[in-house]
Amino acid sequence: MAGVLVVLEQRDGKIKRVGHEALAAARALADAAGGEVHGLVIGGRSVAADGLGAFGADRVTVASDDATELYQPELYSATVADAEKMGDYAAVLISATALGRDLAPRVAAKLDCPLAADVTELSYDNGIVVKRPAYSGKATYTLRVTSPLVVISVRPNAYAPLESDKAGTIGEGAVTAGREGRAVTTAIKQPERAALDVTEASIVVAGGRGLKDAEHFTLVENLADALGAAVGASRAVVDAGWRPHSEQVGQTGKTVSPGLYFALGISGAVQHLAGMRTAKVIVAINKDADAPIFKVADYGIVGDLFEIVPRLTDEIRALKEH
Amino acid sequence: MSRFVPADFQPRLPLDRLILSEPPEAERIEMDVLFVGGGPAGLAGAIELAKLVKADNGEISIGVLEKASALGEHNLSGAVVNPRAFRELFPDLGDADFPFSTPVTKEGLYLLSAGGARRLPTPPTMKNHGNFIGSICEIVRWLGTKAEDLGVDIFPGFPAEALLTDGDKVLGVRTVATGLDRDGSELSNYMPPADITARVTALAEGTRGPLSQAYCEWQGLHGENPQIFALGVKELWELERPLDRVIHTMGWPLPNDAFGGSFMYPLEPKVVALGLVVGLDHPHRSLDVHVLLQQLKNHPLFRKYLEGGELVEWGAKTIPEGGFYALAPRRSGDGVVILGDAAGFVDVPSLKGIHYAMQSGMYAARAIFDGLKANDTSAAALSAYDRMVDESYIRDDLYRTRNIRPAFKDGFYKGSIKAGLMTVTGGRVFGRRIDMHADADVPRGSGGGVDVTPGALTVSKVDAVFKSANATRDNIPSHLIAVADVPADVAEFYSHVCPAGVYEVSGDGLRINAPNCIDCKATDVVGPRWMPREGGSGPAYKRM
Amino acid sequence: MKLAVCIKRTPDTETRIKIAGDGKRIDEAGVKFVLNTYDEYAVEEALQLKERAGSGEVVVVTAGTEASQETIRTALAMGADRGVLLKVDGASIDPLPVAKALADELRGGEYDVVLFGKLAIDDYSHATGPMVAELLGIPCVSAIAKLEIADGKGTAEREIEGGVEVVEFSLPAVVTADKGLNEPRYPALRGIMMAKKKPLEIKDVALADGGLEIVELALPPERQAGRIVGEGADAVPALIDALRNEAKVL
Repeated sequence: MAGVLVVLEQRDGKIKRVGHEALAAARALADAAGGEVHGLVIGGRSVAADGLGAFGADRVTVASDDATELYQPELYSATVADAEKMGDYAAVLISATALGRDLAPRVAAKLDCPLAADVTELSYDNGIVVKRPAYSGKATYTLRVTSPLVVISVRPNAYAPLESDKAGTIGEGAVTAGREGRAVTTAIKQPERAALDVTEASIVVAGGRGLKDAEHFTLVENLADALGAAVGASRAVVDAGWRPHSEQVGQTGKTVSPGLYFALGISGAVQHLAGMRTAKVIVAINKDADAPIFKVADYGIVGDLFEIVPRLTDEIRALKEH
Repeated sequence: MSRFVPADFQPRLPLDRLILSEPPEAERIEMDVLFVGGGPAGLAGAIELAKLVKADNGEISIGVLEKASALGEHNLSGAVVNPRAFRELFPDLGDADFPFSTPVTKEGLYLLSAGGARRLPTPPTMKNHGNFIGSICEIVRWLGTKAEDLGVDIFPGFPAEALLTDGDKVLGVRTVATGLDRDGSELSNYMPPADITARVTALAEGTRGPLSQAYCEWQGLHGENPQIFALGVKELWELERPLDRVIHTMGWPLPNDAFGGSFMYPLEPKVVALGLVVGLDHPHRSLDVHVLLQQLKNHPLFRKYLEGGELVEWGAKTIPEGGFYALAPRRSGDGVVILGDAAGFVDVPSLKGIHYAMQSGMYAARAIFDGLKANDTSAAALSAYDRMVDESYIRDDLYRTRNIRPAFKDGFYKGSIKAGLMTVTGGRVFGRRIDMHADADVPRGSGGGVDVTPGALTVSKVDAVFKSANATRDNIPSHLIAVADVPADVAEFYSHVCPAGVYEVSGDGLRINAPNCIDCKATDVVGPRWMPREGGSGPAYKRM
Repeated sequence: MKLAVCIKRTPDTETRIKIAGDGKRIDEAGVKFVLNTYDEYAVEEALQLKERAGSGEVVVVTAGTEASQETIRTALAMGADRGVLLKVDGASIDPLPVAKALADELRGGEYDVVLFGKLAIDDYSHATGPMVAELLGIPCVSAIAKLEIADGKGTAEREIEGGVEVVEFSLPAVVTADKGLNEPRYPALRGIMMAKKKPLEIKDVALADGGLEIVELALPPERQAGRIVGEGADAVPALIDALRNEAKVL
């Protein structure tokens, strides 16, 4: 097979973790099918691209320019398309982040090739084969690529970064200039502290009566903050007036279906379970080992949540700063 | 514990909200005929009317309002269907074209005890040879496409909240506003009510239809006996082990002083509809039909089919059981007719209502057609509908079984004996009307409650509501009207009557979880009033 | 102001999924189809843009089977002016052929803004909008949470990880809508009745060949029994390790 070109997303000159994940995905594919893994980084003046060999890249090209410090859709897509034309590639991999979900379809249209979006698994079987979610995550497609080139966007967290001691080479590339960007990213604002909607968030941290009273809900809020999650509440807690109705999970059968759901101090009385049962991964923290929530949870910790949750929050914050 | 009478705690029907005499809005929509309710009665009526108009080379606007967000989502029944109304409405189609495919071959009636089941001979009223097992949801969706093919306009998601009137004449309806917050304030996508006027308004709202109830109370229409109701709680299961027969049971787990029984029908060999139907005139405060259904499933007769299977849907609905003597003296008026379950056309001993509903719709359509042509939609003109019903098999069937259900007010055994004699003598024995009380007037004492151990086959009320696909907006205003200061024992009674967990005892009073409501109307019969609410709220049945 | 909205008919999000016999699609029996949730925001935004401009036209376009007429009628009932159905033979799991068909229809239409929902809830590709923009050679801002159009130029905001991107762009342009862009209106009864009379053009279109074939559509495997990773705060590292490396959600 020809090689795999991987777009490595960077922020403020550092390669993001999703970039390492994308390299791992590319490596998995290249190893199965033959071919090299070439990374491409587009960014501003200075970009730290050393050590990417350890994450799976055979070669990395860095295209840096003032104009591309922030994501500029037209410049980035032109640069990727041009980089593709300069090598012999069977696939272009892009992380399915907000940036990647915008960039990948453009690159596919530019290269006149198919796009397999939000892929969670890559393999090779007489052609590139991918798995991706469908129907709000309720089903999974397995697709085979039938054209000589494909753009694949890889879901964050689908692949763990590799660790090896390979070196890889780094070269310089150019940002495709001359294209007047007609859509220009002018700034990145901090988000207003608008609460994430509990029915749409990909991570939900929900608190129940085990928190003992309204003030202690700060534990829930802090963990949610550390995770970038929405705050949820059991019906008991909403009834007691500790939290607003908009945070309630599970009463009238509304499906809350996040990828990750934390149930803190929630016993798992049926009203709650009915609403969050379809979460992909459920974590329960409760002092009662027999609480029904543990029957539904994938992982659980039995103990005092006033000790466990702050520790969990601290460790997650440390992780995210990595 | 003393007894209480539910009627003492039941609010009056708010006629001032349901019957409006102010003139319709200038911005109103005008139609020729409006059917309120997209069930078998409303759709069959719309289809028959459209066909009559077409055959006459005419053109009129026929509308059907349906409160669910899609046809069928609020319909629930057993069901074993008598195809006769279908054959009359669609003479060019054969039985194979109709939306029910499983003919009834074998059937059995069982008297259950806690661990056993005794086969009983099937009473003639319950013989189902020639009938078909079907899903009312599929029937309604099928009728809907037929209606649309004939140019009928169907409007799902538009409940009617009031009748527009002028003197005694019904002018049309007002639909429910959408986009209100819990406290009644307007959200950003608020839409005000719409007024629709029609030359004839056909009320096909189904059981405990609020506008039908309001019209009858307003006009002083009631049968010789009050209308009485049963609550049916139903589940749809996918099985490992096929079922090849229609099953009905009586006895366990019902106490002797509760009327009812269960059913299990194979829609397909491995897809069964099963449910428990119990009259609401029992004297117990703790009798809970949903809980009894859970207990029933653990009985060996049911367990052997359900084990390893999966509960796919759950729902509930009330059924009018008063029969012949509960029919109002007229079901028509100036500019209005009342069809189907809303009029009480259900035969309890045979458990049939769908074909009567459709037939009543068809008779109404004929009377409406003649009225429109003669430019006369007055009470006198539309009373032709009542005459057609009174001269039809609808009346004959209901008359024949007029005292069977009432006989059971004296308990299961006495009732069975009387019912048996009535059936065998074609109603000549015990032929005089048996006096009945309204369900809300029956005093409630302790008892009737059971404890069911949760298991693989049981489902809690809240999980059950989830399976009804109820996705009502959580911050919708409450549509239920209760009296202030409901005492704890009455609150507890409501919590047992309601299968969906809407009512709870909270502190010393009543807590209402309105979004749970699946529109079964059970508590509307004995307690808090059900009022129309934002379209699309409630369950979303698919194959119930 | 000339506006086009590309929409899609999708199953209702609450639908319970069953796989059809061939193992490659969903079993559509009893499935309720609706206007794709994200498209509602796009249609609403278009209607608001037209209202603010004082005049204009909102055209809705969809590539689908005959059944998609119903979806167009929903958008017409909300207030769109006319609809175009590009009647195609089947669906394409590769988004590019559909994007090409839509771009061909939109080209020459002189639309100021073409709106899409950011993704369709059945295939989750997030692709059609940006692809159409690329094929038409116009700028695109995807997954927007805020939009302002003035004097032939637009400013949009879109949520990214840990921030909000502000993008300025010239017209004509494509935007794809995220939830929260606005509050979509319910179609009024009158709107539904009038929708039946609004023009709906049906064109037969052959989709180009795609580059992806469906091997299988499958339901997720049964939920495995969970485990307690430990007791007390000391169990936290084990939990995080499990979430990162086993469940891969952190």
